[in-house]
Amino acid sequence: MERRVVITQGSAITPVGHSKDKIVKSLVEGISGVKKLRQDNLLSDFIHCGVFGTVDYPIAYDFKRLYRKTMGPVAYYACQVAKEVLEGSGLDNDFITSGRLGVAFGSTHGSPTVQREIYKSFFSQSRSSFSSIGAVDYLKSMVHTTAVNITKMFGITGRVISSSTACTTSSQSIGFGYEMIKYGMQDAMLCGGADEYDTTTVAVFDNLLACSTEFNDTPHLTPRPFDNQRDGLVVGEGAGALLLEEYEFAKKRGATILAEIIGFSCNNNGGDLILPNVDGITATIQLGLKDAGISADSVDFVSAHATGTKMGDVIEAQAVGRVYGDSPVVSGFKSYMGHTMGSCGAIETMITTYMMEEGFIAPTLNLENIDERCAMINHAQELVESDIRIAAIQNFAFGGVNTCLIIKKI
Amino acid sequence: MTRDEIKSEIIRIFRDQFEIENPGLDDNLRDTHEFDSIDAIELLREIEIMLGSELSQAEKKNAMEIRTINDILDYIKSMSAARAMGHTLSN
Repeated sequence: MERRVVITQGSAITPVGHSKDKIVKSLVEGISGVKKLRQDNLLSDFIHCGVFGTVDYPIAYDFKRLYRKTMGPVAYYACQVAKEVLEGSGLDNDFITSGRLGVAFGSTHGSPTVQREIYKSFFSQSRSSFSSIGAVDYLKSMVHTTAVNITKMFGITGRVISSSTACTTSSQSIGFGYEMIKYGMQDAMLCGGADEYDTTTVAVFDNLLACSTEFNDTPHLTPRPFDNQRDGLVVGEGAGALLLEEYEFAKKRGATILAEIIGFSCNNNGGDLILPNVDGITATIQLGLKDAGISADSVDFVSAHATGTKMGDVIEAQAVGRVYGDSPVVSGFKSYMGHTMGSCGAIETMITTYMMEEGFIAPTLNLENIDERCAMINHAQELVESDIRIAAIQNFAFGGVNTCLIIKKI
Repeated sequence: MTRDEIKSEIIRIFRDQFEIENPGLDDNLRDTHEFDSIDAIELLREIEIMLGSELSQAEKKNAMEIRTINDILDYIKSMSAARAMGHTLSN
């Protein structure tokens, strides 16, 4: 049994805004959410990169303590976007708790903020164990904390998938959620990812010389995907959630349909855990098109992973060029907000549905002079009106994991 | 500490730590105030700080029978008395 799957709701907390209006405004006006890295009295003084994709606006949480007590910062983000999606969906509580709705939600590594507190007690000079690790610290910090705090808050009893594959965490959430519904295991899936403000992730990329360091005094000018002057990625924070439903179910209940998911692929480079791989990425894109049952020339728009690293962008451009030539318009949304890690796939998918709905394509920010090694594809350098019918969203992660989602306007 | 002093401290902990305002002394904490096993573990940590002494595993397991504020007061009095006599319930 193969069933059609549609996206019916979305919500995101991003460095360029929380609501759809704010996010679209930032895209249309070219506003960056990259700010200076905050002092954390731990790592920030030792990191060469001085910028971060920052959520610096207040968010009005109204979670009861019953829920808050098992939540670290990453779960606050996750539960907030999940709440907004479920409230906006119009799904009744009987359905939400029926077992027909599942959750696919993850983060890069749970809550590093809470993990730090645990480590502090390990290295504390105090000999008294009774004042050390709190009973809920594990629940707040564990890798699947986002997914299960969502199930707890809303009484969701369906399947739980909690990917933790760094930059492909939430694109896998959406893809695996799509497959759950497509093959009849669930009728709806709440999918997404989140990551909190964390300098350990910055330190990891900084050590690998993968972070941007030349724009510390002008944060809004970095990252610069595909640009000659790009000097690395910028880590960011945020969350994105999408509600996926079986098409007939969504249609019958009169749900708003944002887009149909028509294809998903996920593979591995089968080798190096860091270096991007043109054959692996090419295969991912081709597998996505095959799953969608469409040819490459049907795709109007590609949301590129486009982190702004020296080699990553070149390899991605080569793979896109191999499969699509210079036909679809290509943009990279990390240029606006940095790399929101576990949430980037969900945020970029949602931005793509916004553009489908509003009829425009936002350019890659800071793309002024295209690196000639990336020039074989059709880069968006300015805002254009466009009726996107079919779009591909691609994401790649450390560990050699690649994903490609194909969505269609209906 | 007298029972009244312990009661004041427990009421303070319930307000500050668990956001439960002035619970009735015989309220069933789980049914009335959503006070669950995670909260119970957190409360034991507070009791350890109050006693200035670590609770043994056996003593902690005994605490899992606690249902009301009055039970908590009885428990603390008993743990405090055991320490005054120089012994704890072994593991």
